[in-house]
Amino acid sequence: MAMESVPESQTLHIPKLRRRWQVLVLQLISTASLLLVMKRMNSVFGSCTDQFIADSGGPESTYWCPAYEHTRGLRYWSDSDSIDLFLPDFVHGLVDTSGNILSGDATFVAPVLLCAVITALWVYLLHQSEKVQMWVNRLVSIGFVGWMLLPFLLSWIYAMVVAGPHLPFGNDNPAYNHIEHLWEPFMFIFEMVFLGIVFAPILAGLMGIWGLSKRMITWAVGYFLMVVGIHAMLTFEGITDAVDVGLQPLPAQIGDATLYGGLVSPLSLTLISIAILIIVFMESGLAVISHLEYAAMLPEEAKRNPEYVTQFRNVMNSHIVHMVSITAVVALTTAIALEFDDFLISLVGLLEGSQWSGQVRESLELQLTYGKVISAGLFLLVVAGMRFVLPWQRVTGIIETGMSRIRSTD
Amino acid sequence: MWTRKASLMVTSGISLILIGMMISNFQLMIIGLTFISFLAINGWVSGHSELEVTRAINGTQTNAINVYKGDDVVVELTVTNNSYRRTQQLEVFDNVPHEMKMRKGINQMRMNLGPGQTSRIKYRVRCPLRGHYTLGPISVRYRNAFNLYVNESQIEDRTDVTVFPQVREIEEALLRSDVPKMYTGATTLKTPGQGMEFYSLREYLPGDAFRSINWKAYAKTGDLMVNEKTRDAVTDVFIFLDTRDVSRIGTVLKNPLEMGTVAAASVSTYFIRRRDSVALVTYGEKVEYLPPETGDKQDYKVLSRLAAVEAKGSMPLQAVTNAMSARMSRGSPVFIISSLEGDGTTLPAIRHLAGKGHEVIVLSPSSIDLERLVSRIPRMSYEVLKLERQNRLTAISGYGAKVIDWMPDVELSQALLQVRSV
Repeated sequence: MAMESVPESQTLHIPKLRRRWQVLVLQLISTASLLLVMKRMNSVFGSCTDQFIADSGGPESTYWCPAYEHTRGLRYWSDSDSIDLFLPDFVHGLVDTSGNILSGDATFVAPVLLCAVITALWVYLLHQSEKVQMWVNRLVSIGFVGWMLLPFLLSWIYAMVVAGPHLPFGNDNPAYNHIEHLWEPFMFIFEMVFLGIVFAPILAGLMGIWGLSKRMITWAVGYFLMVVGIHAMLTFEGITDAVDVGLQPLPAQIGDATLYGGLVSPLSLTLISIAILIIVFMESGLAVISHLEYAAMLPEEAKRNPEYVTQFRNVMNSHIVHMVSITAVVALTTAIALEFDDFLISLVGLLEGSQWSGQVRESLELQLTYGKVISAGLFLLVVAGMRFVLPWQRVTGIIETGMSRIRSTD
Repeated sequence: MWTRKASLMVTSGISLILIGMMISNFQLMIIGLTFISFLAINGWVSGHSELEVTRAINGTQTNAINVYKGDDVVVELTVTNNSYRRTQQLEVFDNVPHEMKMRKGINQMRMNLGPGQTSRIKYRVRCPLRGHYTLGPISVRYRNAFNLYVNESQIEDRTDVTVFPQVREIEEALLRSDVPKMYTGATTLKTPGQGMEFYSLREYLPGDAFRSINWKAYAKTGDLMVNEKTRDAVTDVFIFLDTRDVSRIGTVLKNPLEMGTVAAASVSTYFIRRRDSVALVTYGEKVEYLPPETGDKQDYKVLSRLAAVEAKGSMPLQAVTNAMSARMSRGSPVFIISSLEGDGTTLPAIRHLAGKGHEVIVLSPSSIDLERLVSRIPRMSYEVLKLERQNRLTAISGYGAKVIDWMPDVELSQALLQVRSV
């Protein structure tokens, strides 16, 4: 039922909606999922093979492989004598503020905070007038280009005035090799690239969630899928035979289902969680934008209309319920689907003795991956077909009606 | 129906599974399977259930409504979920003709109704253009919470809205006219007949009604005298409205046709209120004739006809007057509402009407000045065109017609005061 009048704090104006708990919950869910994806992907795709480490001089040495991890490459650079990193080590997450070397999840803290600060500044900038945005954009761009080129140009021009015309490189006197001034900005860019391998999708994701940009959210999801794809390619046996970049491949077997009462194996739980987190990040982030777009489209009177406010609240609430329930069911279904081949093998095992059952069992076991995926596909087909069998929407509706009647009699 | 997002998701899901199988990578396969699983589970939640949608216009439930051009209409849609399940996310959209302008609120709402719940969409539209319009049908779009499936349906609830041209008050203008016998038919036809007002006394004749005997006069004179009454229906007024293609010159809201419909509606209503009979003839692509009648029903017919007229065709006025002359009662006033552009037969047609004893009044919206509203006419060309028009109007008034040169920025009542005659 619609309220009589809408309190000022509950109107459908964007600044007020951004403080509404439903919107904040969805944004927080999306942010948490984004950070968890990063953490999970780092644990799965962030290591090099033992052979590669051994070939590079052992775990104590500095080595780098193109894994989803940022400290290894930065440390590799920072330890080389000829290169100095532009940003301080604690910003990279290499050390803490006291200079102690960090490892594990602690290495993410400073870069993630940096991403959060950049996002906050960006969102703040988005709320300024177009003129201010234009000037800030110009200042940053001009400042960066100036920082890149001015030292080089000024020193070269000054040296030419003093010592006569000369090229800025290949001189015996190192003071005349002005091209060196370009090195530092370029190193900063490379540094950003190394940080970006891990944190570019985090920055884009955060900007997408809090700056309400669908494109950035989609880009972040695409980036995660690209990382998984590239990792899969680079660890494929056919490729590693030719070029081995040292990436740790995923196990060839999914392993035995030992968790949650034999429902899921540790590896598949990790891999399913990555997939689910990507979906949750994307869906909750996009949902906020879609609902706020709708609210922004409404005229002023509708934003204060109790009917619109009530229905907006209904839509948001049901979205959160859907988000939680459907993703939980999807996770469960995928887990069951992955173990469905075991169920089939057990079923065939009951028919022990017949020649057919033996052949089926053998083919299921022999083909492993294919058998698992094909049986999972079959299971999902059954699940998809269950919409025609189970009237669960009606069941939940009857429960809801009953509950509202009980509430009204109270 | 699957959305683009769902199609993309199923394609990427299957692709990831296949690539994962090709290169034996579990992560790709599991992401693919999760995408497919996500789609399969979302498929369980289907669209809206039994919805009852009703539309009320200005507070009453009706299938048809008549308004005047420029009026506002308040529309209220009531959406009720009569089933035992949630509707899920619905977008209810009331189809409003694009000619109508939203004044307050909006004709759509995103909602999610629980069992038995009701919601109301209230909005106000202005009808700036005359015509026959339809509100509805109501489009109901179910959209999955994750925008994977969309199902659009329509509820065939329609309300016809007829937007009549505005009716201006012209009585005052006519009373203050410099030509007191402008509508001679209307005054000279005040003759004895079946009416209400007293006309005169006369001697009793066999066949007179017994109740019409004036007993006081009988007592005074000793002769039977009867009361005579005036005839109520005084005259037939003929209105010729030019709806040719040239009458669209100007803007959508201000052109000879729009000005003409307002004038025709105002004149018609004025005479019908005086209990005269009014006939309407529109000519453009074809001639449409509404025979002379009086009363509210005729007023409604005239306004409805005027609501529907469109600028089309190029029928000459003389063809119309020739066709209608047999049906026109002798001496009845004739209003010709036309910009008089692009029709070489105007002069002979008016001469013919005047020659047959009709009182001809030509109300002519100035199409040159209307054209200036939309395009720039060089000063010299404007002056020449204006002079040509003045000559044409003078020639028409030379045939005994009363001519009104109606400028775009002049109100109808003011324009009617500017009658030009020889």
